[in-house]
Amino acid sequence: MPDPAFPKKGAFMNSSSHFLKEADFDSFVEGLLKTAPVYAPVAKKNWFVFAPIASPKEVRLDYDLTILPPKKVIFPVRQELVAFGPAGASSSIKPEPRILLGVHFYDIKAIDMLDLLFRENNVDWNYLAQREATTIVGSSIQKVAKRAFWATVGKGVKPRGHDAFLTRLPGGYLLEVLTPKGEKLLACGKFQAASKAQIEEAEKINKDILEKCPEKLSHGSHEIAAKVRANFKSKLWDELSRTCFSCGTCNIVCPTCYCFDVQDNWNLDQVSGQRARAWDGCLLEDFAKVSLGAGACENFREQRGQRYRHRLMRKAAYLNEKLGGPACVGCGRCSTQCVPDIADPVRIIETIMES
Amino acid sequence: MSTEAQSATAPQPNIFMPRAAEIVRAKQITATEKHFTLKMKDGRPMTFEPGQMLEVSVFGFGEIPIGYASPPTRTQTFDIVVRKVGRVSGAITALEEGQTLYVRGPLGHGFPLDKLRGHDILIVAGGIGLCPTRSLILYILDRRSEFKKFTLFFGVKTPQEQLFLDDLALWRKSTDVAYYETVDRADANWKGNVGVITTLFKKVSVDPGTRVVICGPPIMYKFVIAELDGIGVPRTNIYVDLERRMKCGVGKCGHCQINDKYVCLDGPVFCFKDIENLEEAFR
Repeated sequence: MPDPAFPKKGAFMNSSSHFLKEADFDSFVEGLLKTAPVYAPVAKKNWFVFAPIASPKEVRLDYDLTILPPKKVIFPVRQELVAFGPAGASSSIKPEPRILLGVHFYDIKAIDMLDLLFRENNVDWNYLAQREATTIVGSSIQKVAKRAFWATVGKGVKPRGHDAFLTRLPGGYLLEVLTPKGEKLLACGKFQAASKAQIEEAEKINKDILEKCPEKLSHGSHEIAAKVRANFKSKLWDELSRTCFSCGTCNIVCPTCYCFDVQDNWNLDQVSGQRARAWDGCLLEDFAKVSLGAGACENFREQRGQRYRHRLMRKAAYLNEKLGGPACVGCGRCSTQCVPDIADPVRIIETIMES
Repeated sequence: MSTEAQSATAPQPNIFMPRAAEIVRAKQITATEKHFTLKMKDGRPMTFEPGQMLEVSVFGFGEIPIGYASPPTRTQTFDIVVRKVGRVSGAITALEEGQTLYVRGPLGHGFPLDKLRGHDILIVAGGIGLCPTRSLILYILDRRSEFKKFTLFFGVKTPQEQLFLDDLALWRKSTDVAYYETVDRADANWKGNVGVITTLFKKVSVDPGTRVVICGPPIMYKFVIAELDGIGVPRTNIYVDLERRMKCGVGKCGHCQINDKYVCLDGPVFCFKDIENLEEAFR
């Protein structure tokens, strides 16, 4: 049986740091492409998305935020679980080696949380196999998204589980190698040993960026979790969700959301097909609804306010003990994408804290 | 051996992979409920505890969570009862003897037999809440000496909705169980009690030391618990079997969450004391 403790975090060797000249970046990415499909941030109209790349020219490590988080490379929007046909059923776990390049630290934290949640209790290799086959290369934040608050959320939770981390320096990049998978990347580019000054400069860059977040939480995780939880019956949930469309966008763009629906689909032959899972969201009206028969149903979170509260509780309180901090990494995607602009965790939490 | 080496050689187990079960008996028992007896095709018997559940599926239609309706003391086969309400249950209830269902289980936590043994037992079952509790009822009857006074309340809306008529006929006559039944609305042939299930509490004296199991429609719980509070049954001795949308059954998909609990993982049977203050657990 595979080890359910995978992926082991922080058990490997001492990290090592390497310098890559600006002029050698493209050949490094070309080197990566020769070993496995590479998923990286690329421009899409006026947004950025993680997408498979064909050329180093597409890579935009200067992105501020991607529409969807990089979890989709490991936990796709739709994933086949089991294939069925006249001869019976077969497992669809078929991991593909992939390199996920350019992940900001907050998204690394989110993937680390998903690793734990898919691993706990019943080990879900539909997720973990692809996770294991993926090499994650983080990258420093060069531009700050306008609703970001990653500097003040879950400060005690450190990014873990990535294999290497690239920091943009004047004239090139510093690559910090953290795992054996990360070490293999060195063969793909013209790296040289990093100087002490370069290492210190990278540390300073990654520290200084934390001062640049436009949004800030003014309380710590424990304090927030306790107050939010104590306000379960507050009228604020109904008030704040008054203009909610129940569209589920806040769930879909969230890097720590992992709820899904399971659906069966027939192939055109009408005798074979797949059982697949697809992203789902607790803000959607029928998420907790069950049929009672004879046209009757029971919706266990019927009101918008109840669903809106459930999401915030999941992000700020319910999972804290398990994860060591909130299940929110401060990316600001929900804040950015919510049409009536009521999903911003900072605004919700600050409102509750001041109530 | 390292994780990498292991996974390269061993196939990774898939928690969504179901096992085939042959339908050895299928009987329509009400207008909407069908009773199936199943036998695992791989020869490995299904081992479970009363109150646990399984995901039952027909490929191409989907999976639904269903409780075991037979006792684990019967090892060669097991029973489920499916009410036809939608796409998946419609596909399941269209099947007959000799055909195949796919199942994943056992899932979740069942009734705590160790805490029930040696005590008076009261089971309160409403409607198809009798299906998962039948597993416990038959278990108790099979091992009758391990339990003290055994009382069973069963309530349905109309007499036509009564399930397991053969069982009911036995229980009415049995000295092993004090069986009380009621209907919300009687018809011309009904000679028994009329009224909601809590009206049965007037017919019997329940000792405060009784261990109580409740399973029924969501609306039923608070009324039964109010009766038990009146009798003085401690909430630590009350067990509730909850229904939610248990889509994956393995604590991942999120649909069955009640606050920080997963009903499919932490339940579906809970000690009432543990969740009495859990908002969203009860109506």
